[in-house]
Amino acid sequence: MINVLYLDDELHNLTAFRAAFRRDFHVHVTTEPTEAVRILREQPIEVIISDQKMPTLSGVEFFELIMPDFPDPIRMLLTGHADIDAVIDAINKGQIYKYIAKPWNESELKEMVNEASMLFHEHKAVSSRGEVLLHKMQEARAMALRIQRITDQASNLNAEQTAEINRNAIEINRLLTE
Amino acid sequence: MMERASVHPCATRCFRTASLVFFLISTFSVQAQKFIGTRLEYLPEDYNLELLEVETVATSDQWVAFDQLVPNLGMGAGVEWMRLTLDPMTENGKLIEIQNAGIDDLTCFMVCDGKIIANYPGGVMNAPSEGHQFGTYPSFPVPLVECNELHALFRMHSNKPMIIPLRISGPRKVLEDAHQRDVLFALYAGVMLVMLLYNLFLFLSIGDRSYLEYVLFIFAIGGTQLVLNGYAPIFGIDRWPWLNLRLTHLFGVFSGITTIVFVQNFLRLSRYVPWLNKLLNGYFILYLLALGLALIGRLEWSYQLINFCAAAIFFFIPGTIITMRKGYSPAKYFLLAFTVFILAVVVFVLKDTGVIPYNAWTFYALPMGSAIEVVVLSLALASRINQLKRETVNAREEQLRVSQLNEQMVREQNTILEERVAKRTAALESANSSMKDTLVDLQSAQQQLVQSEKLASIGQLTAGIAHELNNPINFVASSAQSLRRDFEDLNQVIDGFKALDPDDPELLVALAQLKEMFGKLDIDFTQKEIEELLHGIEDGTKRTSEIVKGLRIFSRMDGDNFTSAQINELLESTLIVLRSNLKDQAVVEANMGEELPLVSCQPGRLNQVFMNIITNAAQSMEATGLAIEERIVEISSSQVESIGQSWIEVRIKDRGTGMSEAVKSQIFDPFFTTKSVGEGTGLGLSIVMGILSDHNAEVEVETEEGIGTEFIIRFPL
Repeated sequence: MINVLYLDDELHNLTAFRAAFRRDFHVHVTTEPTEAVRILREQPIEVIISDQKMPTLSGVEFFELIMPDFPDPIRMLLTGHADIDAVIDAINKGQIYKYIAKPWNESELKEMVNEASMLFHEHKAVSSRGEVLLHKMQEARAMALRIQRITDQASNLNAEQTAEINRNAIEINRLLTE
Repeated sequence: MMERASVHPCATRCFRTASLVFFLISTFSVQAQKFIGTRLEYLPEDYNLELLEVETVATSDQWVAFDQLVPNLGMGAGVEWMRLTLDPMTENGKLIEIQNAGIDDLTCFMVCDGKIIANYPGGVMNAPSEGHQFGTYPSFPVPLVECNELHALFRMHSNKPMIIPLRISGPRKVLEDAHQRDVLFALYAGVMLVMLLYNLFLFLSIGDRSYLEYVLFIFAIGGTQLVLNGYAPIFGIDRWPWLNLRLTHLFGVFSGITTIVFVQNFLRLSRYVPWLNKLLNGYFILYLLALGLALIGRLEWSYQLINFCAAAIFFFIPGTIITMRKGYSPAKYFLLAFTVFILAVVVFVLKDTGVIPYNAWTFYALPMGSAIEVVVLSLALASRINQLKRETVNAREEQLRVSQLNEQMVREQNTILEERVAKRTAALESANSSMKDTLVDLQSAQQQLVQSEKLASIGQLTAGIAHELNNPINFVASSAQSLRRDFEDLNQVIDGFKALDPDDPELLVALAQLKEMFGKLDIDFTQKEIEELLHGIEDGTKRTSEIVKGLRIFSRMDGDNFTSAQINELLESTLIVLRSNLKDQAVVEANMGEELPLVSCQPGRLNQVFMNIITNAAQSMEATGLAIEERIVEISSSQVESIGQSWIEVRIKDRGTGMSEAVKSQIFDPFFTTKSVGEGTGLGLSIVMGILSDHNAEVEVETEEGIGTEFIIRFPL
């Protein structure tokens, strides 16, 4: 089940949201931004939905706040009224995925959350592939270094063989560096 | 007689001529005369002529003959002796006549063969002997005696020129001539008298001074002629020898002065020929001098001075011509009169000097000239009076014309003024109407601005209200859907229960299944959730209706009619409308007074006032850095008593940045704003002020920089 975090100062919205999506997602709701951060830390949150207009800080501000620590969860902004400044800020500062207008359409919202989740996982997969590649590169480099070291020690090898090995090593290194 | 014996210098001749002129002006001679001046002899001045005895003279053989027909001895002041040799055969019984009435002292001695046989006194100073003077000229009878040599000796003395027109005629002839002269002089005198009386009458009836001057002029001229022609004794003047001796001089001065006065005034010399006028004024002094000389007995000097002054007549011609040229038409007559007179004088003189024949016409030239002059001058005077009248009439006409012109000008000016006034009025009316248009435009612009400010407020509100409405709608709608699902779950359980049959042996199994389903559906949670959702729906509905109610109250913005309203209600509705806008800006602490009386107001417009001030209050705290909980807008309402009146007082206080005095003084000015361009119209508070003054409300602003601002508004009850 997808872990969704919903932040809104309106308690009734939280209740409604949970009631609407608890059967589909693993719903986390809170009215407090600090509580939201705690949840983010403790739960594997994939999608964050935040109300824009809140007393202490806005949705965009909240996203900005958590971005450094939690860059991965997909962010969606929920707002009662489209204010152009809010939209611009949301895109530029909050790097949000979707902009949802109240009142929400349940099925659409559900679809969006699903898509966001998929996106989250794709991101996750890409980044893990990258990690694997990086790991392999590091191994190759270590191997190349090891080969060089061995060749240096085997000074009894003729010059031609040494040159051949060096060329290979350099080639490996170049490939890895790329 | 050195002077006479010597070669005549020009000056002497000129002087003599001038003397002759003056003399002849007043001298008449009758018809063509045969003067016998060349027969007359005189004694040269080798002797003391004054002291000579007649006996001595009678025997003298020093006689010198004159070479003139009319001897002229000039102004020799002394005694002169003259001898006329008579023919005892042919001339006895005739009369010797000296046709000069101006010789002061004259004695004629008849000498027969050196023996004085008779003497006759004559001249101005001597009463003529009875029976031998006919008329005004001295005449002496030639005695009827038998003599070889018969002489008439004349002893003469005069202060006037001694001109001696001498003739010998029969007594009848002399008498006839005298008679004729008298008639002619009477004619002349008649003319003069008529002119004098006529002009005197004119003077008395018209009162013009120039007539009097002319009367005096005529009197002087006529009088002079009268005296010179020897008619003075008629009036008994000879009874006063002193006066008689000076009569010629006095009349000379008199006629000179009256002539000059007359000429000056007649020709208006002071106006037309000022220099001549001054010159003639100089002559007055000379005449007075002559008068003085005559009075102290220097008669010959006086006479010469009078003669000299008489030459002033020659200045009249150029003076007259100048005057005439200057457009003074009576000068024509004047010119004619004096030309005639001068011509007459010239003719008379020329006659005496022998240039033209000595006949009746030339002899009468002078009196004729004088008479013509007087008549013409009279005409001239009439013309002058007419001229003056004309001038007066012209002047009046000119005045009339000028006044008419003025009137016309005034009328024209009036017309112009009226036109101007009309134009100006039209311009003013047009200006007025354009100002009215402008006013209408301004009013409509103001209305538009107010409207746009309203719209801006509404627009500003829309976002907040949309959010405010969207939230409850959102969770109400969502809750409804969730409820349906929850109820579906519940329904499953309920259906399960429905399907239970108490008689079913497998009831327990079914119950267990139900129990399992109960657990699986988490009905406990669902029940709790239903409770929450219902609560949310209730709350949402309540809030929605509250907002709608607030909006309804607030939306009375367009209702500008005064109605009684509860200020608190208006404040609350404003707060509801503003709630979502204020949510992330400030906390409102409202402290409304209870049971406040209603205020007559325009609720819609007052909402605009409260919204504006509250919004400003909330915005003023954004820049303070205060936490949201500390950004408090305190709103209170109460009833207060002030200035003997009840008021509803609304206070709206913030903890914002406050304002400087400079800013405070301008906040109600239109278009004044502290917000950046595009954020505010600058009209909010000016509209607020307008609305509040429509409510007769008092506004007080207390502010301090860094502390905050408080608006205190009092509505009169």
